[in-house]
Amino acid sequence: MRKAHFSLAGLPIWIGTAWLLLQLGGCATYSKGFAPIEAKLAAQDPTAALQILEKQRPSRSELLLYLLDKAMLQRMQQDFTASNQSLEQAKQVIQTYSAASVSEESAAFIINDTTRTYTGTPLEQVMLHVYAALNYLELGNHDAARVEALQVEVRLRQLMQDSPESALSVDPFARYLSGMIFEDLGEYSDAMIAYRNAYKAYQAHDKIYSLTVPDYLKHDMLRMARKVGLNNEYARLRKQFGISLQNKHNPHQLEGEVVLLFHNGLAPIKREHSVATIDPGSGRLIRVSLPYYQNRQQLVTTARVEVNDLSVQTQQVEAIDEIAEQTLQAYLPAITARAVARAVLKYNMSKEASKQNDVAGLLVNIVGVLTERADTRSWLSLPANIQMARLQLPAGTYALSIELLDSLEQVQHTTKLAEVKVNPGKRRYISYHYVPRYTMRK
Amino acid sequence: MLSLQRNTLITMLLTALLGLSACGTQVERVDVDETHDLSGAWNDTDSRLVSEEMINDMLARPWRQDYTSRYRKQPTVIVGTVRNLSHEHINVNTFVNDIERAMINSGKVTFVASSQERDEIRDERKDQDLHAREDTRKAMGQELGADFMLKGSINTIIDMEGTTQLRYYQVDLNLISLRDNRITWVGQKKIKKLVKNSKLRY
Repeated sequence: MRKAHFSLAGLPIWIGTAWLLLQLGGCATYSKGFAPIEAKLAAQDPTAALQILEKQRPSRSELLLYLLDKAMLQRMQQDFTASNQSLEQAKQVIQTYSAASVSEESAAFIINDTTRTYTGTPLEQVMLHVYAALNYLELGNHDAARVEALQVEVRLRQLMQDSPESALSVDPFARYLSGMIFEDLGEYSDAMIAYRNAYKAYQAHDKIYSLTVPDYLKHDMLRMARKVGLNNEYARLRKQFGISLQNKHNPHQLEGEVVLLFHNGLAPIKREHSVATIDPGSGRLIRVSLPYYQNRQQLVTTARVEVNDLSVQTQQVEAIDEIAEQTLQAYLPAITARAVARAVLKYNMSKEASKQNDVAGLLVNIVGVLTERADTRSWLSLPANIQMARLQLPAGTYALSIELLDSLEQVQHTTKLAEVKVNPGKRRYISYHYVPRYTMRK
Repeated sequence: MLSLQRNTLITMLLTALLGLSACGTQVERVDVDETHDLSGAWNDTDSRLVSEEMINDMLARPWRQDYTSRYRKQPTVIVGTVRNLSHEHINVNTFVNDIERAMINSGKVTFVASSQERDEIRDERKDQDLHAREDTRKAMGQELGADFMLKGSINTIIDMEGTTQLRYYQVDLNLISLRDNRITWVGQKKIKKLVKNSKLRY
């Protein structure tokens, strides 16, 4: 009789336990699964990295990250068309799943935050468009790159509506790149507006972490101000920046320009930090897990691009690692509040269960503690920062090489880049990705 | 007690089965003229409606009459570039194809192949020059030169508030005389869509 009672009363608990255990399938944190891909990237072998990635069968909740990583690895392989297809799919995922899901939110409330379908941080959503634009630029399709510039504009406007005060609602490089695209297409007043916005964004970001406005942007602003006939602004900017343009006429007329974007390293990785404690009254285990960024030690701080006797040092145009860190800091209060509320709920569930049966109470407590995981998902193949070098060159074909320098200006790595053809009055965009071998810290 | 537990189990099983039934792929054939708005983006219906309306307008305007009465032949038209200046990656090719189809089928203008198509045809003629029988060989230098070029752009303005977007599309087409750069016809078609994205999903 006792036995029968046990099995009946415990039945919902057992079912609940089994269900919770099923959810545990994805128990290891997301960021740990990236290690084999990172190893291949550090070996400068994006093809092998892509092969590993493509073997994964992402669940719906991680589909966006799969597509973003895939797109990044595809562009590292110079397959820009395929990369853009992946990015378009990623946009679809964001579009479909950005509405809050009732079922996922309730699961997130009971189990953990990773049950939600990942739709990206504002930074990741903006970078999606930036990389799509770069892919199109490298394919020489400026009109399509312009579409991305307009889409990023819509995205930034949405962010501005959501949190108008935050510096994270303005992305400097997205604005700057938009300006360059408009300038390439001869839309000079749009370019000027974008450059101004970029300048403001660099200043806003400088306030929360140290960042300097790239000299290139200052020159671009001066050139555009003169081009569209903003004489007062031109005079003011010249005084403010303390620079002047070298030659009076369009510098692009006889020469072409190579814009090299150096995608340096890998963005910081989210790890889990858990605090577990035993409630002295009931002996129950309570655990709260929160994500934190493990900043990677960047070996390479800057790069030098060389061709013939010309040597140009790169300038940082986007500090992805800093923005990611700031984004998490901004979200952490909400994440913490959810985690604490969840701990309270799990505690009460275990208390309720133990009213029926002590074993069940213990089990619910254990499962509750085991399922408490921090959401460590992020776009891991993003670089730590993006740097730019621009070279004015007479029309012709050039073999560029790039030297990567550490903080002491010592050359750490040298690579010969593929030959580029420079056409007069045109800009050529090329990218170089470099991932060092990071020392793993647990 | 026992029956209650059974009921719960049965309900759970049924729910699971119901959930499973949505797994299969469903295909439903729809007529190409039917309007289906899914995401609010530019779609086949927009492309078709805009091209048909604009070409009908173009053909009804006085420039065609003027040309026909002066030169006693139909005007010859070529489609140049239609630039996509919108927020979306619109497939301009299908739009251009829709324009071409509307023009050719009207029978009111003569239509010549675009510059990319011409290259392929010239290659074929070159090839014929070498390999084809003399009575079937097509001579070079017999191409029909166009009198007018149709150029245009697709623009968008997006206004938004929260999850609601107002999408405004404007398609501009210009018909330019190749003889003297005169713009002989300007067409404009506007589409406005209000897209409301749900804040919640299941």
